[in-house]
Amino acid sequence: MDAIVVENLTKHFRKAYDKTLKGFFISVAKRESRYEEFVALNNVSFSVKKGESYAIIGKNGAGKSTLFKVLSGIISPDSGEVQMNGKVAPLIELGAGLSRDLTGAENIRLNCAIFGLSKARIRDVYDSIVEFSELEDFIDTPVKFYSSGMKSRLGFAIAIHVDAEIILIDEVLAVGDKDFKKKCYTKMEELRNEGKTLVVVSHSLKPLRRICDRALLLEKGEVKDIGSIDEILDKYESEKPKKKKTKGA
Amino acid sequence: MFADIMKYKELLYFLVHKEVRIRYRNSIFGFLWTLLEPLGLMAIYALVFGEILNKNLVKAYPLFILMGLIPWTFFNNTLRRGTKALSGNVSLIKKVYFPREIFPITILLANLVNFVPAFILVFVIAMFTPGLHLQWYQLIYLPGALLLQCLFTLACTFLVSVLNVYYRDVEFIVNLMLRAWMYLCPIIYPVSLLGASKSDLVREFAWLYFLNPMAVIISMYHGIFYPKEAVTKIPPSMIIFVIILSLLLLVFSWWIFKRLNRRVGEVI
Ligand SMILES: Nc1ncnc2c1ncn2[C@@H]1O[C@H](COP(=O)(O)OP(=O)(O)OP(=O)(O)O)[C@@H](O)[C@H]1O
Ligand SMILES: [Mg+2]
Repeated sequence: MDAIVVENLTKHFRKAYDKTLKGFFISVAKRESRYEEFVALNNVSFSVKKGESYAIIGKNGAGKSTLFKVLSGIISPDSGEVQMNGKVAPLIELGAGLSRDLTGAENIRLNCAIFGLSKARIRDVYDSIVEFSELEDFIDTPVKFYSSGMKSRLGFAIAIHVDAEIILIDEVLAVGDKDFKKKCYTKMEELRNEGKTLVVVSHSLKPLRRICDRALLLEKGEVKDIGSIDEILDKYESEKPKKKKTKGA
Repeated sequence: MFADIMKYKELLYFLVHKEVRIRYRNSIFGFLWTLLEPLGLMAIYALVFGEILNKNLVKAYPLFILMGLIPWTFFNNTLRRGTKALSGNVSLIKKVYFPREIFPITILLANLVNFVPAFILVFVIAMFTPGLHLQWYQLIYLPGALLLQCLFTLACTFLVSVLNVYYRDVEFIVNLMLRAWMYLCPIIYPVSLLGASKSDLVREFAWLYFLNPMAVIISMYHGIFYPKEAVTKIPPSMIIFVIILSLLLLVFSWWIFKRLNRRVGEVI
């Protein structure tokens, strides 16, 4: 069975416009539409099998984070189907789901509650989250005083402990130090072996080869290519440095 | 709708707890502020209206003010904080999904937690104030008033919280409106004043006064100790009207919330 099925997903954003009364009258006077539409995701279809590790790659602004937000329900698509079979733990961009004013410990409890863990279960996983994140000394410090690496540690540690079947990881490891990254990649392999479904967005391609089975290349909101990880990454890497038009399939 | 939210009761509990605690974090008096705030306002009004303007409109005037001011503070603070219920939680809303109705509900419950002890305290003080008599039969209004207030407040909070995501003007409008609204409620004066007013204008339009749900609700609280000055002066049809209005408003704002919620994740 497939863990994630996405069919013909399309998402338009309204480009930020001048929302003031002045801006309104100016745009009325100029007779331009006040909403400039921008296609962030265009007819995206793919599916991820249960227990598979899937990479999504693409340039800045390709729509990877947007795709993750749609998958986790944060933004709703304009059209298309999204089917998630299993509990989803999204780790979207830095500081995923952490509340600035709360301490690390409170954030752990908050996030566990968001993911529907019972009080007893929260008590069970609390220690292992702290242990994995290696933040024992800072656990009672408000998260606003955390470094970005510390936030990503906490976010990652929470996401892997909330009993989710599908974990979406977007770029959170980019700021982790070498040891923590290594630990995370090992953990991700472990999770894969346990049969969890991982979807990873990353600009550091090397580790992806080790963790992922398949990959999707996103370009300007459209699916450019889907295939085995090595195949896609080879293509992506070969076209990246040269700025020639090597856009043959 | 409620089944969906009950699934998150652990989260709701946590958020309410956090809301109550965070508000008074880094303040010396802490939770005491729930009492100090209305007490301070009461002192101001009692001084200005009771002493300077010399209008001691009812027995134990400061206590009368407090009886109305504490429910009003509950409404006022819920709405003020509720305006930012969504727009103040950007980091959560942009990164994880759970029913966003939880945010306004949290604000309501947190303010309820502040309201109940303050009200009980005033109630107890009133019991021991000479000249005031607890009207036992009026006590039946108390749960009704509380429930009605919660419904009405929740409806308003749903509306302003989601609108404020789209237009931050809502925050300013709400703050301004609440000030005017307070004077349209029987807080510094009893409702009995309206019928006895010397002004024709006031007497003629007195019935309009009770279209304001908060006026009716506060009068219901007043009735417990001030029966002659409060709820008995309200036409019963108005109470029914306010109940229906609150329910309709709740359905309406729930619907608006659901609709506007769809794009909250991207515009916030
Ligand atoms: N809420 C929003 N409103 C309007 N436009 C948005 C919104 N969120 C994203 N966009 C636009 O959608 C496009 C895709 O953004 P997205 O964050 O998905 O890129 P990305 O692939 O994650 O890039 P990166 O590799 O830098 O993380 C960008 O052009 C961005 O400006
Ligand atoms: Mg991104």
